[in-house]
Amino acid sequence: MVRLLNYLNEHSVMLKRIFFLFLILTVVFDLYVKRHEIHFFGDAIIGFWSLFGIVGCLGMIIVCKGLSHVWLMKKEDYYDK
Amino acid sequence: MISSTVLIHPTTWFLGGAVLLPFLEKKDKLRKAVLIGIPLIAFTLIHWLPDSFGHVHYLGFDLVFGRVDRLTRVFLHVFTIMAFIGCIYGLHVKETGQHIAAFLYVGGSLGVTLCGDYLTLYIFWEMMAFSSVFLIWYRKKRQSIEAGFRYILVHTTGGLVLLAGIFLRYQNIHDLSFVQIATNGATFADYLIMIGFMLNAAVPPIHAWLPDAYPEASVTGAVFMCAFTTKTAVYVLARGFPGFEALAILGAIMTVYGVGYAVVENDARRILAYHIVSQVGYMVCGIGIGTAMAVNGAVAHAYAHIIYKGLLFMGAGAVLEMTGTSKLNELGGLYKRMPWAMVFTVIGGISISGFPLTSGFISKSMVIAAAGASHHPVLMLLMDLAAVGTFLSVGIKLPYFIWFGEDSGVEAKDAPWNMNLGMAIAAFLCFFLGIFPNYLYKMLPYPVYWHPYNAYHLSETLQLLGFTGLGFFIMVKKLKPEPKINLDLDWFYRKGARVFIRFASRRVVPTNDWANDVYRNIGMRATMALAKAFSWFDWEGIDWTIDGSARGVVEGGNRLRSLMTGKIQHYIGAAVALTFIILILVVLL
Repeated sequence: MVRLLNYLNEHSVMLKRIFFLFLILTVVFDLYVKRHEIHFFGDAIIGFWSLFGIVGCLGMIIVCKGLSHVWLMKKEDYYDK
Repeated sequence: MISSTVLIHPTTWFLGGAVLLPFLEKKDKLRKAVLIGIPLIAFTLIHWLPDSFGHVHYLGFDLVFGRVDRLTRVFLHVFTIMAFIGCIYGLHVKETGQHIAAFLYVGGSLGVTLCGDYLTLYIFWEMMAFSSVFLIWYRKKRQSIEAGFRYILVHTTGGLVLLAGIFLRYQNIHDLSFVQIATNGATFADYLIMIGFMLNAAVPPIHAWLPDAYPEASVTGAVFMCAFTTKTAVYVLARGFPGFEALAILGAIMTVYGVGYAVVENDARRILAYHIVSQVGYMVCGIGIGTAMAVNGAVAHAYAHIIYKGLLFMGAGAVLEMTGTSKLNELGGLYKRMPWAMVFTVIGGISISGFPLTSGFISKSMVIAAAGASHHPVLMLLMDLAAVGTFLSVGIKLPYFIWFGEDSGVEAKDAPWNMNLGMAIAAFLCFFLGIFPNYLYKMLPYPVYWHPYNAYHLSETLQLLGFTGLGFFIMVKKLKPEPKINLDLDWFYRKGARVFIRFASRRVVPTNDWANDVYRNIGMRATMALAKAFSWFDWEGIDWTIDGSARGVVEGGNRLRSLMTGKIQHYIGAAVALTFIILILVVLL
């Protein structure tokens, strides 16, 4: 198993390509999906969840890391002082 | 007849095991047999439980130790499975005390799940709190001791709120049976009970005890704790308070709140602890929505969550056990040294993220779809956002910085066989539930009409997860773990306690000392004068009537003085006792 992981680690370019291919496929797949129940506007837009995923992810990192650095982050012995 | 009722209650077996264990310290094989056997017996027993048993009439109250319906059964099922997995994982632990604490804790949790009235519930509820604190203390570090004290203080407070609610409810309706409370007829007493339950479910703003205490617990202790306290609370909320809108809103906020902290935290087990807050949010939200599908989803998610969160805590615990640290900034590149722990933890990580074919996919989707179906798009989007954050922090960040990333050079080897076996069973269950969802669905309280593997839902999930992965690799440098802590709402009582102590040492203690001085100068003199008067009286020849009185009075004075010790825990204890007395008076009047 370690060998398999080493092998994958050495071929990270290949992994990256597979990953991007997968991303494109998910959006293409979304083109052909039948929408039975539309609960709100987003359900009708093709690729909405892709956008939601990437924007949500980046937004969350920026907001949380930002809040943490500006306000919440303290040294580990903060409560001992 | 009574004996058979006692024996059929699974808690009895765990209590019996806890009593037996101290005698088996030297007999290793027998001890292991008890550790594995008792959860197995309990798991078998729950299939034979009658619908109702263990009715006891005591002091004018009807206590019900056994009330079994579909909701009870599914929780008992997963609790006993998790107890079994946890015991295998902790088999190598030599300290009997840890096993005893775990057994009492599991027993308490099963007792709460089975009870049919609030008094029994309260007894088992407190049993859980007081046994689980030992699982924290057995880590035996200074931080753990302190975190344990905070844990028990917070839970005692929550327990008192619950008790106040129970007493007020009894005063209002003279009935202690634990049944569903109608949303339109809820009184102040019912809300007090709900707050008591919510504290154990770690609903913000009363959640901070969880990420404070769990990361400080012992390796096996954390595996037990992550499964029982919050999920027992989910069970009682599902039993008593389905359909309360406050729960739906707080639950959805909870999902995002926990994930937000998980993104920035450094300690692996603290990240996982924040994910409990987040995942329990889905359950609380589902219960709050209250439709059959939402409650089903909440229960299914509790089931799936117990297994995969146990698995994640086992994985992080294995790393902590073998390397001595669970801080991400000190770890990295461990895949060469602990490959099995990596495989299992990644399975836990993809399960919690809700990948297709895993247990998270079939349960989480149910709650989210139920929110959509009952026209709560905002709740639905909040929970989807939390799903993004979950995959980001536990699905990718945690394994990446422990097993990949820069090689830290930390010495490690794979965990003992029993730890790996525990993880393997949990990992198997994650896939089993994901591939055969009907196994779980047919245990749920209501009939299930939801098919998780439909094309649109698959498309939605794959897009969400895929593009979250993309987001991670864009920002991977920004996510580098930092050896810092982040403030949470426990700041108020951790720093607040400082202020209180300072106030106590500057104001209360001097006042106390002054009172002592006054007593010593005036009270003692008065006592001594009295004593002298008595001894004079005694001298006069009637010593046989009041013999020893003088000494008695002096002793009484000393005793009064020793009551005022100036120790904070004594004052807290006295305050708690006083609250109890007041509550009892309220009920009696």
